[in-house]
Amino acid sequence: MRDNRRARIILAMLLLTAFTLITLDYRSGGGGPLRRIGNAVFGPIETAAADVARPIGSFFASLGHLSSYKHDNDKLHKQLQAAQEQIRLHANQDAQFKDMERLLHLDQVAQFRIVAAHVIGVGSSLQFESTATIDAGSADGIRKDQTVINGDGLVGRTISVGPYTSTVLLGNDPTFSAGARLESSQEAGSVDGHGLRPMTFELLNGQGEISVGDRLVTYGDIRNSPFVPEVPIGHVTSVQPPNGTLTRTATIAPYVRFSALDVVGVVVGVGTPPKRDSLLPPSPSPTPSTPPTTPPASSSASPTVSPSNSASARKH
Amino acid sequence: MRRPLLSVAVVLTALLLQVDVVNRLRLPGGHPDLILIGVVSLALVGGPTYGTVVGFAAGFFADIVPPADHTIGRLALVYAVVGYAAGLLEDVEERSVVTTVALVGMGSALAVVIFAGVGALLGDARINATSVSHALLGAVIYDVVLAPFIVPVVSGAARRVEPAGVH
Repeated sequence: MRDNRRARIILAMLLLTAFTLITLDYRSGGGGPLRRIGNAVFGPIETAAADVARPIGSFFASLGHLSSYKHDNDKLHKQLQAAQEQIRLHANQDAQFKDMERLLHLDQVAQFRIVAAHVIGVGSSLQFESTATIDAGSADGIRKDQTVINGDGLVGRTISVGPYTSTVLLGNDPTFSAGARLESSQEAGSVDGHGLRPMTFELLNGQGEISVGDRLVTYGDIRNSPFVPEVPIGHVTSVQPPNGTLTRTATIAPYVRFSALDVVGVVVGVGTPPKRDSLLPPSPSPTPSTPPTTPPASSSASPTVSPSNSASARKH
Repeated sequence: MRRPLLSVAVVLTALLLQVDVVNRLRLPGGHPDLILIGVVSLALVGGPTYGTVVGFAAGFFADIVPPADHTIGRLALVYAVVGYAAGLLEDVEERSVVTTVALVGMGSALAVVIFAGVGALLGDARINATSVSHALLGAVIYDVVLAPFIVPVVSGAARRVEPAGVH
């Protein structure tokens, strides 16, 4: 019992320490120094471990996909290209842009500068958060609150950035929320994650038109942070009938499979800002027949792919 | 004093396997909590003091290892309590596999409940009836399944580096 008494005292002391930590971190809003230390210290270890563990993990996770890792570099380029094509196509198909939107989007659609990265770690020991670690950080130009995409669409946003790794809040996390716009009716609202339950889209206009199958893209935020515009999010799977509230809610199916992420891209910049002349209302709307694979003329507009750790990107 | 080294190795391995491999397996219904199993294994050999300290340290590292995004200190609190509770049963002689497995199961449930409870106090949006019941079920089932394989190995190693009875 001697040991037991000592154990109780130590337990009490450590619980007090834990509560102090919780209080301090809670008050700092989650971006405290400990989180930064964790990113800096454990990030590189995690990256190294992931290189070792990836074959094991992928063996169990996707027996059929083992061989594809050899072509990761190709896949990475293809995916990024596909993402940009998709975004560009989307923008082109949208002939119904309001004038203001047209002005805002005209010169920036699809001209994303992207840092590509691997997902190296997911979640926590208990199953509450939907987050991922990627092997690119501030050294690669990533900042907090940037959009993360992959070939399918919106993956999430960066919430904490270490020197060589970053943490991404995935779209299905209950704390995730993004401004979104319906492709068809241009109605705006917010897309929210709900963990195990499907993501929802809340239409700000209670009388707004929305129907099953409508596609959603990000609305884009001021200074493109945390979200750049025009990134595909998903499509509407069911709409709740108007129930007298100010907003309407629909459930959506995201394009991205959050449980099967591998290569993602962090949007670190959005091309050139609209030029002076381009702010004039354009007489011909952007033609959908424009070959999407041709990169825009200026060199800065071409997709800048900087693999976070080129060695591993080449290796796999 | 080689057991601290072993504990560090066990905790670090569990942490990295957890985020790099286990959480990515897309297992139906959740995933096991390797850190909890590791902490319980070590506490069963080392006793309550040892269990508390190892649990706290493991939880603290789990709190800051990316991509964790909950309030730092929550897992430290959770695993310190679990480590203490498991350590109390150190002296139970001739513990059968069934008892050990039941212990791990209870520890898993305790961990989820404490974590969710603190989260509810802090207004964590991730804590709701659906997520808690899902986490509870997933953690308990997978931990119980894995416990018979992991606990004897880790506990055995801990016993070997520093024979029981020497404090």
